[in-house]
Amino acid sequence: MCGYLKFILFFSILIPIKLFSQDIIQNQYSYALKLYNSEQYYDAITEFKRLLFFDREKEYVYDANEYIGMSYKIGGKFSEAILYFTIAEMNTDNNEELFNSKIEIVRANILRRTISHAVALLDTLQKDKKFTVNSGNICYWKGWAYIFDDRWDEAAHEFSKIDSCRTLMEFCKNVEQEKYSVSFADIISHFFPGAGQIYASHYFSGFLSLGWNVLWGYLTINSFVNNRIFDGLVIGDLLWLRFYNGNLENAVKYVKEKNLWITNRALDYLQFDYQGIKP
Amino acid sequence: MKNLFFIILIFSSIIFSQENNQLVNDNLFSLPNIKKFADYLFCQKDYLRAANEYERILNLVQNDTIEYKIALSYLEMGNFNEASTRFNSITESSSFYKSAQAQSLKLVFQIGDIVKFRSQYLYINSNRAYLDSAGLASLYMFSFLLTEESLPNEDEFVNAFQIAEKNKIRNFYEWKKDFPEKSPLKAAIFSAIIPGAGKIYADEYSDGIYAFIATLAAGYLTYDNFKAGHDFRGWIFSGLAVGFYAGNIYGSAAAVQIYNAHIRFDFVNELKAFLEDKNYFLQVFNFCN
Repeated sequence: MCGYLKFILFFSILIPIKLFSQDIIQNQYSYALKLYNSEQYYDAITEFKRLLFFDREKEYVYDANEYIGMSYKIGGKFSEAILYFTIAEMNTDNNEELFNSKIEIVRANILRRTISHAVALLDTLQKDKKFTVNSGNICYWKGWAYIFDDRWDEAAHEFSKIDSCRTLMEFCKNVEQEKYSVSFADIISHFFPGAGQIYASHYFSGFLSLGWNVLWGYLTINSFVNNRIFDGLVIGDLLWLRFYNGNLENAVKYVKEKNLWITNRALDYLQFDYQGIKP
Repeated sequence: MKNLFFIILIFSSIIFSQENNQLVNDNLFSLPNIKKFADYLFCQKDYLRAANEYERILNLVQNDTIEYKIALSYLEMGNFNEASTRFNSITESSSFYKSAQAQSLKLVFQIGDIVKFRSQYLYINSNRAYLDSAGLASLYMFSFLLTEESLPNEDEFVNAFQIAEKNKIRNFYEWKKDFPEKSPLKAAIFSAIIPGAGKIYADEYSDGIYAFIATLAAGYLTYDNFKAGHDFRGWIFSGLAVGFYAGNIYGSAAAVQIYNAHIRFDFVNELKAFLEDKNYFLQVFNFCN
């Protein structure tokens, strides 16, 4: 009888205290989540940090760190985001949470342009048998990683493995086809100075380059023909070769500029008009 | 038995209500909890959030430690104006007053207004005694290294610092005293006399030799082509020769300016790294251990 009374006494005191303190923590979580949902990310981070600081039971350690990471990511602080996603990853309870955290780390790495990290992480996930069911998801983010690394053909290849990503695959293929070939511009400029610039639609620069090369080439050859070898060497070295090299460098530079414009336009489309999930 | 049960229930509900009250008061936004959280943020170097949390406390109670920590938070964030305002708002009755004044003066130095720092230091030093007077005296002496003013006597200069710092300080002193700067005018004149000599003077040996050969070759070919009646090529080479000659004079002066900027940059960087390492010779409060 005495033990029974002690039992009642003990629980009538402890349970309400415990429930009440957990109520405070739960309210704090709801409050922080409300801030996050209303896009007040700075305040959301503060309140999630406060929650983490006082949550002695570590009940919200995964969620809070995940939300802090998301808030930092939205604020463009990718390194901080990765830090908190990593803490969340270390506190996961199941494979789904683990996979989500890892994917969030990958997405932040893509945005931070540390693509090699993102791809390495995705490769690890791909090899892990736990995540075989998520292979489509892994390919999807690999595709995005390649997009941000300007490897559109490889991105198209990754998207081709997912049935629902046909549009994205076609889009990447089109971008790749639209891009100019740097090596082609370089090669044609070797044989026909100015051709690389003309290929990149810089007609004036192309013809000007051609003109200079013809002039200095003629004078170099003319010097050799007139048996003025030293004249020929100096004109050839100081003038013709310089303009010839300039023509090669310009061709490559213009093609790269053109490709950058095409890539940026594609990324612009993906950022503002593409409806699917983005990094 | 019923009575006993009733007594227990009353007893537990009294205790529960007391505990409840304590918990309500002890919620996450109570003063002690805000302070705990703010201290945690401060030690995690999340200074903006720490400052915001400390501000919450200041809205409820006055506390000079909190004021000082807010100022430190702004200082760490690089918000020097706000930090200065906060340090200056700490009143004379506070135990942090002297340190805050020293920090405020250090901020003037840190912003780069060395002249103002020196005049303020001399004014304050003649009027008030500072707890951190040795540190500020060191900083004052150190400021000579960052201005164009003539340096004080070496022993007087070095003695303003602690024994452990003296060797490094002496090195800085000697570096500053015989600053290895070069003259752009000299470089231009050297190159005008011997093409490329100015570049060699600026420690750019390969450029100097190349400029010498190119100018000489272009000059010779100008002469030779005109002499041989190849006027068109003669004009091309004369254009090249003039271009090389003039470009080399200008380039030599520019190279010396770059050389000077480079060594000055290295010197200032070393000074700044040393100052940061020594916390500007001022006392450091460790709030995180």
